[in-house]
Amino acid sequence: MTKMKTVYDTITGPAATVLNIQRMSTEDGPGIRTTVFFKGCGLACSWCHNPESISLKPQVQWLENRCIGCRSCVAACPEEALAFEAAGVVIDRERCAGCGACADACPSTAMELLGKKWPLGDLVREVEKDRAYFEQSRGGITASGGDPTVQAPFVAAFLRECVARGLHTALDTCGYSSRQSLEMILPHADMVLFDLKIMDSAAHRRWTGAPNERILENILFIRDYMKNAVRPSSLWIRTPLIPGATATIENVTAIGSFIAEHLEETIERWELCSFNNLCRDKYRRLGIDWEFRDAPLLPRSSLDELADAARGQLADPSIVQWTGAPRVEKGAEGGPEKRHLRLVKGCTTC
Amino acid sequence: MNTTTAQYAIKEPKGLSPRITWLRDYFFSGVERGWNNEFMPWTTGTDWDVQYDEITYYIVPETYAFLQTFRSSFHQTARAVKLHDDFWKWSLPERRAWFVKEVMAGYMPHEVLPGDLIAGSRFNLQASRCWTKKELEERDGLIYGKKGARAMMKWFHDHGFGNSGATSGHLIPDYQRALVEGWKGIYEDLKASVNNLSDREKKGPRGAQLRAMMTAALMPKELAARYAAECRALAAKEPTPSRREELTQMAANLDRVPWEPPVTFHEAVQALWLTHMLVMSDENYPGPGVSFGRLDQYLLPYWRHSIDNGMDREFGKEILKCFWVHANTAYDAMIRVGGNQGITAGFGQLFNLSGLGADGKDMTNDLTYALLEVIDEMTPILEPKPNVRLHRNSPERLLDTVVSMISSSQGAPFLLNFDERSMAGMLREAKRAGVEHLINESNVHEYASVGCLENTMVGNDRSGTVDNNLNLLKAVELALTGGKDLLPFTDLLTGKTEPPARVGPDTGDALKFGSWDEFWKAYAKQTRFIIKKCVEIYEMSESARARFSPTPYLSCLVGGCADKGLDVTQGGAELGFTTIEGVTFATTVDSLLAVKYLVFDKKECTMAELMQALKDNWTGHEVLQARARNRAPKYGRDDDYADAMARKVMDLWTDETWKYRTKSTGRRFRPGMLSWNYWVGDGFILAASPDGRPKGQFLSNAICPSNGADINGPTANANSVGKALGGKDTGGGDWKGYLNSLPNGASHTITFNPSLLRDPEHRTKFKAFLRGYAENGGTALQVNMIDADMLRDAQKHPVAYRHLLVRVTGYNAYFTAIGRELQDEIIARESHNKY
Repeated sequence: MTKMKTVYDTITGPAATVLNIQRMSTEDGPGIRTTVFFKGCGLACSWCHNPESISLKPQVQWLENRCIGCRSCVAACPEEALAFEAAGVVIDRERCAGCGACADACPSTAMELLGKKWPLGDLVREVEKDRAYFEQSRGGITASGGDPTVQAPFVAAFLRECVARGLHTALDTCGYSSRQSLEMILPHADMVLFDLKIMDSAAHRRWTGAPNERILENILFIRDYMKNAVRPSSLWIRTPLIPGATATIENVTAIGSFIAEHLEETIERWELCSFNNLCRDKYRRLGIDWEFRDAPLLPRSSLDELADAARGQLADPSIVQWTGAPRVEKGAEGGPEKRHLRLVKGCTTC
Repeated sequence: MNTTTAQYAIKEPKGLSPRITWLRDYFFSGVERGWNNEFMPWTTGTDWDVQYDEITYYIVPETYAFLQTFRSSFHQTARAVKLHDDFWKWSLPERRAWFVKEVMAGYMPHEVLPGDLIAGSRFNLQASRCWTKKELEERDGLIYGKKGARAMMKWFHDHGFGNSGATSGHLIPDYQRALVEGWKGIYEDLKASVNNLSDREKKGPRGAQLRAMMTAALMPKELAARYAAECRALAAKEPTPSRREELTQMAANLDRVPWEPPVTFHEAVQALWLTHMLVMSDENYPGPGVSFGRLDQYLLPYWRHSIDNGMDREFGKEILKCFWVHANTAYDAMIRVGGNQGITAGFGQLFNLSGLGADGKDMTNDLTYALLEVIDEMTPILEPKPNVRLHRNSPERLLDTVVSMISSSQGAPFLLNFDERSMAGMLREAKRAGVEHLINESNVHEYASVGCLENTMVGNDRSGTVDNNLNLLKAVELALTGGKDLLPFTDLLTGKTEPPARVGPDTGDALKFGSWDEFWKAYAKQTRFIIKKCVEIYEMSESARARFSPTPYLSCLVGGCADKGLDVTQGGAELGFTTIEGVTFATTVDSLLAVKYLVFDKKECTMAELMQALKDNWTGHEVLQARARNRAPKYGRDDDYADAMARKVMDLWTDETWKYRTKSTGRRFRPGMLSWNYWVGDGFILAASPDGRPKGQFLSNAICPSNGADINGPTANANSVGKALGGKDTGGGDWKGYLNSLPNGASHTITFNPSLLRDPEHRTKFKAFLRGYAENGGTALQVNMIDADMLRDAQKHPVAYRHLLVRVTGYNAYFTAIGRELQDEIIARESHNKY
């Protein structure tokens, strides 16, 4: 099986493990974009909204509302990792090899393989389909994840192909990557969306599994790289606002002060992405007890305070924007306006 | 739970003057009104008289059970008109022209509502068909009996083919000419035409038709005189000087127009309204897609004249708002039927705004914006329906206005038409029908839309845009069965069940097909058959209408009728088409994809197993059904493989459609895709389909992907639609690189989450989506902007959402007034777009 796969790869060229391709994304950089979510991330943030993107390995998940109870998946699994119990399909994560045989067998797409192989040519063809909308909106392609630098050689080749076809490219990264990976990708990325999550390194390690020194070095590297390069020409910083973790005045002020000191002349925008809990079910399906399962959304007033703290650090406060979903508060003013905000998709990298 | 409070705010009218507020509220008070515009029936007094012409309702299956009731009840309640001494000596069109004019000018009340600036109120009537006893017998001979038009159209519908019938309206009369020349000009021309006839021609049908049209051409003048008198009478009694002045001005306007050409904007709108409402009177049908065309173009000279001469811009809008209220009174026709005063869906008195002019010039002007302001301030309201024409060079300001209006309404308060793709379709039509002298590169930009989005030329074109509604899916069923109905048919009226009948050609036993090609060939043959059948069914009502139901007044407003001496119902229009609207497109494409995938490519089941599953309505075949639904490819995902099938289906049925003409009137059949609400109702008639849909579930709507199939989002959805229409050809295409198989246009609805428009940055992205749609998408787009939670709340609190409009196919409906099933369907659609 593995041997066959390697042979296949050499025939067809490189392939990447892709979690999802989202078209008409309006939240991952300028304009209308097609965002490719590459699987695998060097960090493991405890609030991560795409927990299925952390591991580079393909995984399967079971979507109960699609299941018709036919047990085709149980029969198809070569590892005998699946059982159909009263509560539905139970996946033995130890046994599951992520081969996707169950997903292939499932008639109703209830068993889903997270992480499909995409050969380079196919992926380029796929993302080029929305060229007309990119051209009209100055949008383009965003490589996101996970963290795309985990699959750096492929991502670099992919973005290079996109640039060659006149498509605008963005790298959306958590910043926890090797210098080598960045050097590979940066020449082909018109812009970088870069996460700064926590300034205190110990806290960073506590929440994301890794200290932040390398991340801070990388952002400065990118800043310097941009001075002498055609690409990237634009840099946005993104900070997830996670209650109890990143969403403190101290942390936001510290990030702001770092930006003011080192980055303000380089960056175009600093986005504060409000926490949302729409991913609660993802954790359940992956069999993970999520720390933030019952965490409430931030109230509008906290978001405003945090945004003010961020703006207070900068010479040009207008580059600070917040996005995401505030808590719905009964009786608060602004009916329809608030309704618009209620369903905004959260920041995708955090 | 509180049963009356709504959780969400819905669009409210804004900035209305006390005058308009009163008129609008009065309109919405419905049955509680003292005045209304309910159908009034009138008779010649003969005991065989008929008012109601059922043919015009053959495309409305909901009315089939009541056709006889309507006929009898209108006859029973009709009031007698004193006939002219020579009445029965005249030809049928002359009788009918005289009768309608006599009723409108002499018998119908002529009222002016308080504060109204436009006269012309009662226009819904059921006038005698003016048949002699012999004519009635001949005509009924064509309609009744086992092989009559009614039985045949009912057979067609009962067996799931769709529906077909020659119906009223659905055209853009030459209102511009009526304004530029006045009715006087039209009348003088007709007089000259009659004088040019030979004596023999004068005695023949040609002379009769032209004389009937001359009589009809006097109707606006006589009616205006009655309203002028009413205005003067009201002015005499009016205590408030400002209102007295208005009434005096209205009387002065009516003294001149619509007989003389208008000069001022007030006169022009007055002339347009009377001219328009009389079309509805002439056809005895309220507002069935009788459309205005490019209102912001032909009213512009009058607008400019009045603005230059001191008219307050707001007063100009006030005149338009009165016009708006008048257009809505079309709904009064059956005001006592159903909830919400019988108002459940839009009739489609459509007008276009903006769009291309000659040499690629954008035609947006101050009146375009004034009309958009009127829409914004009056919304929610149903009529007249706006359709904004966009193109590659539409100005930013227009798009800003459009997007801002979308973001403040539950759905866009207008349809969007896309010029490049639409014009490519019109030029395809010109070529296929050999009418390039009438539609060509130099004038195709003058096209306009009828009803919702059905593109036609203006003033000389009747394209029967809703006359034939064909379920393309029936051909899949017949290919599976070798030409028989899959299921037995039970007549709900009689309770009788008939075994599955042979209804189509024998295309062989599908169980023996060894390859996909064999199945495709059978499908192609059945498609040719259902189109031919549709053409035959249409001929029955078309020929009956041509002989017995002239509309001489409307004929005055359609170029070609006077020259040919033929009524518009007889094929008098210069451009005579009738449209087959392909219904169930995505369900058909997806079903073919599923047969190919399940039976031939993946061999997931045998043809026999698939057939059994369909007969069992998928019960007991859930795994196979799930595979059909979820694993087989689907149209609408920008998947080139699936979209190639869409293209193949499109080519087949459109090529076939172009082959036919009506025998009686010489109108060429042309293709379009508009499904009105048939995709809902016919889902209960058509058997389960191979795409996994059980009988009883809705079919796909117009050119939209099947519900829930568009999993790759709006751009993928739009790209698939563009590809299904032909996509682009850098070598030239039908027009500037665009291809379009459907000259009529194709209805496409996409629902967006309101969050997409939450701030200026995102609104800019949405504008870019619309510009991208102009490149890649279809001919027309209805943007819905509602989230599912709000609709669920509306289900719980219907009273609080009484005026919540949702739009399906550019067909507007009050959400709370439509059936629970369709409500649930719309909610499912919304939920699907949420993440």
